[in-house]
Amino acid sequence: MMKKVFFILYPVALLGLTIFSYLFIDPNLIYLKDFYSGFAYKYRYEVSFFYLLILFIIFTSYLLLLKLISKKKIDFKNLRFLIFITIAILFFSYPAMLSFDIFNYITTAKVLFFYHENPYIVMPIEFVGDPLLSFTHAANKIALYGPSWILITAIPYFAGIGNFLVTLFIFKLFISIFYLGTVFLIWKISKNLFSVSLFAVNPLVVIETLVSGHNDIVMMFFALLSFYILMKKRSIILALIFFMLSILIKYSTIFLFPIFLYILWKTIRKRTIDWTKIFYFSSFFMLVAFLLSPIREEIYPWYAIWFLPFVSIAFQKRALLHAWLALSFGLLLRYIPFMLLGTHFGVTPFFKTALTFTPVFFVLIYIFFKDKLWLKISFR
Amino acid sequence: MIKLHLYIVILTTILLLCTAKSSFAQSSYVLPYPPPMPGNFLYKIRLVSEQIQKYWYFGNFGQFSYSLRQSDKYLVQAKTLFEYKQYLLGDDALKKSDMYFKNSPKYLSYAKEESKNIDRQQKILKEAALKHIEVLNEIKMYVPKEIIWNPENSHPTKIFLSGTLAEAIRIRESCL
Repeated sequence: MMKKVFFILYPVALLGLTIFSYLFIDPNLIYLKDFYSGFAYKYRYEVSFFYLLILFIIFTSYLLLLKLISKKKIDFKNLRFLIFITIAILFFSYPAMLSFDIFNYITTAKVLFFYHENPYIVMPIEFVGDPLLSFTHAANKIALYGPSWILITAIPYFAGIGNFLVTLFIFKLFISIFYLGTVFLIWKISKNLFSVSLFAVNPLVVIETLVSGHNDIVMMFFALLSFYILMKKRSIILALIFFMLSILIKYSTIFLFPIFLYILWKTIRKRTIDWTKIFYFSSFFMLVAFLLSPIREEIYPWYAIWFLPFVSIAFQKRALLHAWLALSFGLLLRYIPFMLLGTHFGVTPFFKTALTFTPVFFVLIYIFFKDKLWLKISFR
Repeated sequence: MIKLHLYIVILTTILLLCTAKSSFAQSSYVLPYPPPMPGNFLYKIRLVSEQIQKYWYFGNFGQFSYSLRQSDKYLVQAKTLFEYKQYLLGDDALKKSDMYFKNSPKYLSYAKEESKNIDRQQKILKEAALKHIEVLNEIKMYVPKEIIWNPENSHPTKIFLSGTLAEAIRIRESCL
């Protein structure tokens, strides 16, 4: 029964999210002007309510799935099917529903591959009259990402054959391939369906990667790949190349550098490595990077992708898992204040922070009382 | 006591107003700080970085920015060297600045051939030309028209500073 409910609820929620995403089409996006309704800008309360509703349904399905997997009611084939369904449905969603970064990726690629200018020197805004400028939000900035990201975007950019909409969806497909690759690596490393589903079906990962198309997944894929290569005791050089590639996507995996050096040292000295500890510390180090992100700008929800792959592999304790899930939920709630108020200023930053950490706070309180943690503390 | 304070304030204001000279910049374009000078160990690093940057600033807009930046740097270098009466080195720096400045419009015309809108860059070039002319006219005020430079272990060299400065101004004026 539970399985049936899940297999109906989950695809319906994804389909709902895909349709809902088109309410957010930017009025300046001339390529999709036939789909533009302005609904998200006119009916802010309704849109916020529907977003919250979709989040609840997706999170409920996710929790249901985790329960089904822990009861061994879902096998490898079921999960594989589910992941493909997720990719297939969300591929058609409008990517700039919650963030405009995908436009930025395309514009940066255009600066390099079309205009043949260095995106670290020349800003997109300097190409007066370019149609992408009307909807690219960071056009007045030089390239924000690392060189390996800009170089690999040559693939989706040229595959788009100069058509904006084709390019946009090929960028989404490109990101989806890295999502699939990351999920595959988590499976190869953990050989655990629960770990795989914990990451692959996490609504935050799914929305930020398969809807918004953030490149954080590409960075994490290369980091995991380098760890996997070292785990299987294959070429150290290859692992180093992939690790450097990862750092040069978005720089955050530089926080894993001490761990990478430790693994190299152990590998060269032919000592055994406790990989559970490695992934445990990797998630901790990437969590530090995540928590330090407000120094640069603010905590963006998709930054959670920096530690979630490691968390999925290393953490199986119920209490901590609940905290991670609450954080994923809280981070997706961060979008509501802007959706509702239409401004990034005023009370919006306060509500964003409050909404992010409130679910975590309540979960921790719940665990404290449910597990009678005060007894454990007082008996020490 | 209050009267005395008031008297001092009024007197100081009058003195300041009488002695102050009015100086208005002709252009809002900002030149960089003086870069490391010849003889400084950082100068060699600067020359290496200049060569590396030549490749980093690829593309016609990139090359335009690079040429203008280098021209700015060498102009500031020349001004500083002239102030310290290092005429031979200053003359060299000014000629390098000219060479880079001449390149800037060339890259803009290449960009135009690629159908890039160059209005913004042309405006920057004009502002830069105005600022350079302003600095060159300042230099003209205190350097001799020509000088025989006597290095310690080499033959004397005659430097026609007025000619170099006139040529530098002419190059900038051609961009206005």
